[in-house]
Amino acid sequence: MNFDFSPEEQKFADEVEQWLVENHDPEVMDHHRENFSQLADTPERRAFMKKLAAQNWLGMSWPKEYGGQAIEGVYEFILNEALSKHAAPQIGKGVGIIGKTLIRHGSEKLKQEFLPKILNADVEFAVGYSEPEAGSDAANMQLKAEKVEGGYKLNGQKMWTTSAHFADWYWVGARTDPDKPKHDGLSLFLIPMDHPGLEVQSLPTIGKDTTNQVFFNDVFVPDDYLVGKRGRGFHMISEALDLERFTMFTLSPIADRTRVLVDWVKDAKRDDAPLKDDPNVRRTIAQIVTDTAVAKGLSTRFVCAAMAAGGKPPTIQSSQYKLFTTTLSQRVCKDALDISGHEGTIMEGQDEAPLRGRFEGAYRATMNETVGGGSSEIQKNIIARRHLGLPKNF
Amino acid sequence: MDLDFSEEQQMIVDMTRGMLEEHSTVEVVREMEDDPKGYPDGLWKQMSELGLNGLLIPEALGGGGQTLLEAALVYEELGRAMAPVPHFVSCVMSAGLLMEAGSEAQQEEWLPQIANGDAILTPAWLEPHRSFGEAGIALDAKPDGDDYVLSGVKRSVAYASSASRLIVLARSAEGVELLLVDPNADGVKLSFYMSQGREPHYRIEFKGVRVPASDRIGAAGSGWKTFDKVMHDGIVLLAAQATGGAERCLAETVEYANERVQFDKPLGAFQSLAHYMADASTRIDGGRVLVHEAAWNRAAGRSISRFAPMAKLFCCETYRETTRVCAQIWGGVAFTIEYDQQMFFRRAKHLQLSWWDTPYLEELVAADVLDS
Repeated sequence: MNFDFSPEEQKFADEVEQWLVENHDPEVMDHHRENFSQLADTPERRAFMKKLAAQNWLGMSWPKEYGGQAIEGVYEFILNEALSKHAAPQIGKGVGIIGKTLIRHGSEKLKQEFLPKILNADVEFAVGYSEPEAGSDAANMQLKAEKVEGGYKLNGQKMWTTSAHFADWYWVGARTDPDKPKHDGLSLFLIPMDHPGLEVQSLPTIGKDTTNQVFFNDVFVPDDYLVGKRGRGFHMISEALDLERFTMFTLSPIADRTRVLVDWVKDAKRDDAPLKDDPNVRRTIAQIVTDTAVAKGLSTRFVCAAMAAGGKPPTIQSSQYKLFTTTLSQRVCKDALDISGHEGTIMEGQDEAPLRGRFEGAYRATMNETVGGGSSEIQKNIIARRHLGLPKNF
Repeated sequence: MDLDFSEEQQMIVDMTRGMLEEHSTVEVVREMEDDPKGYPDGLWKQMSELGLNGLLIPEALGGGGQTLLEAALVYEELGRAMAPVPHFVSCVMSAGLLMEAGSEAQQEEWLPQIANGDAILTPAWLEPHRSFGEAGIALDAKPDGDDYVLSGVKRSVAYASSASRLIVLARSAEGVELLLVDPNADGVKLSFYMSQGREPHYRIEFKGVRVPASDRIGAAGSGWKTFDKVMHDGIVLLAAQATGGAERCLAETVEYANERVQFDKPLGAFQSLAHYMADASTRIDGGRVLVHEAAWNRAAGRSISRFAPMAKLFCCETYRETTRVCAQIWGGVAFTIEYDQQMFFRRAKHLQLSWWDTPYLEELVAADVLDS
C-alpha cells in the first residue's frame, strides 16, 4: 500500500505545477468558468493548447508509432488534475476519446489526417451522442444516416453538443441500420463542423456558458469518414469511455472549491465576530472537508484499479467516484451559500458578493454534474448490477 | 499509488477472518450479548495465539510490532465478525497508553501479559453527565503522601469485571492523570449495566481509593495529552471496525435482496432498493480508503490529526446509515430479535456514540482545518 506518487510521477507533477505557475494567464485560466474552463474555446486557450503540445504533454499514453510516449495513463491523470486545479483547458476529447478510438479502429487515412493534428493541438472536436430521445438511454440515437452513393446522408438532431460553436470537427453517432437491434445499428462519423447542412443553435444554460443543439439537413459524409466498421458505433463509444478512464472528470476543481471556502471562512466576519467561531459553520466545514477526503480516496481507488487492471476497465470504481464526487460538488456549493447567508444571493461577478459570487455561480454551474456524463441514477444501476450482483432493474 | 495489501498483510487478513468465522459465529456473538463478562475464553485464547492481542506491542515485549495499518486490517475483520472481545480497551487503548507514556517497569509488567491475553486492562474514562473532552474528567485525585486518593464515579467502563487493572483518568491539581488501579482495591465498587451494542459496561464508584504515585502513567498532569494521542490511533481502528460491520451487513442484505420476491421480482430489481445499496457500497468503499490512508500515514510517521477523526466520523455514519437502509430492505423481519440485522443496527449506533461521537469529531476536524 502506498498513497504517494512514485518519485517519477511526483517529479512530473512538480514539473507540471511549476510550468503552470510560470505560464499563468488570466485569459486562459479562469476559475469562474467552473467546468467550462476545460474547453479550448478561444484563440488564447487554443494557443495554450499549442504550448501543451510543445511540452509533449498531448498523447503521452499513445503508442510510440503514432507519436505517443506509451507511458502509463496515470501521467495524463496527473496532468489533467493539475490543469483543472488551475482552471486551464484540459487534454480532452481529441487525445482521449477520438485519438484512442482512431488508433484502434480508424483507417490509415483517418489516422494520418487526424492523429498528428491532435498531437499538435491543431484541431478541436465536438462530440455528438445525446439526442432528444437519447439521454440516459444513450443507445437510442435516432439521427438517421442513410447509405447513398459514395457515402451517407445524415438527417436529424443532436443535443448538448457543448463544443459545437467553436470546434473544427464533429464526432457523431448516427443510426445506419435501423432494422438491427438498437446497440448494433449505430455508426460513428467525422464531419467538418462548418459543413453545409449543419446548423448549430445555441442553448443557453443557467451555468455561465452555452451548450448547443445541432440540426442535420441532408449532411453528406463520404465513406472515408465513417469511423471503423459500420454498425460498431455504440461498441466503440462504450470502449472509448473505458479507455478514457484517467481523464474523465477531475477532482481538483471540487477540492479547490473546498479550499477556497475554507480560506474564506477563516477570515470572514459576521456581526464583527469571526465566522469560523459559529458552531454550525464549523460542523459544515468538518463534513465537507471529510467528504472531500473520501472523494480523493475514491479517486485514488479508481486510478489504482485502472493501473492494475491490465486492460480491464475500472467501471465500478469510476461509477462510485462519479456518483459520490458530483453529489459532493453540489453540496459544497449549497453549503457555501448557506454559510454566506443572504449575501449568497448576490450574483457572481460583483464585489459585494462573498468571493465575488464564486459560489453563487458554482451553485448554478454544478447543477448539471449529477446528470451529464452518466446521471447518478445510471451510476447507481451500474454499481448495483456489476459490483453488488443485483438483478437488472429496468 | 497502490492500494494492494502486501503478502504479509493479506496473510494477516486471511488468518484473522478464518479464525473469526470459526470462533466468532453469530451464535457466539448472541450468547455474549447478555453476559456480564462479555467475551468467550476460546475466542480470546485464539486471538492471543495468533498474535492479534500483541499486534501493536513491540516484539521485545512479546508482541508482533506491527503498524496501525496491519491493525486496521484486523479491525475490519473484527467488525465484520462483531467479535465480542476486550481487544480495543486492552490491546489498543491500554497498551497504547503504556507504550506512549508508561515507565519501563510498567511496560515490562503489563505489555507481555496484554499480548498473551493473560491480563486485560481497560480505561476508566467517562463520567456521568460529563463530556468526551478533557473537561469531562472530574474524578478527584487528591495527593496524600506518596499516594493519590480517588473519589468519584466512572461509567461505561467496558469489560471492567475481567480487568487486572483499570487505567483511571483522574483530575489532580496538575491536570489529568492516568492511574493504574486494581479493580479489587478497597473502595472500588463495580456495577454492571447493559449497553446498546451489548458490550458489558460497568459503573465504577471510587470511595477514597489509595493509589501509589508510582502507578501513574507518565509525568504528573500529562494524562490527557497521552490519552488524546492514543485515541487518535484508536479511532482509526474503530473506523475500520465500522467498515467491516457495514460491509457484512450490506453483503447479507444483497443476498437477501436477490432471493426475496415481491410483485414477482427479487427485491434487488427495484431501483429504489438497489440504489440504497449502491449508495451504501460507495460510502463503504470510499470510507475504507480513508481508513487505509489514515493508518498508512500513521505508519509512515506523519500526522493524523485530521485523518483520524475524519475516518471515524465518516465510517461510523456510513455504518449507521447502512444498517438503517438495510433494515428498510429486509422489511419487518429486521425488527425481530430472530434475524441478525438488528445486531448490526444496534452496534452501528453504539459505535458511533462511543470513543468520540460525531460532534466531538467534527470539532476536531474543524479545529485542524480552521484554527491552524
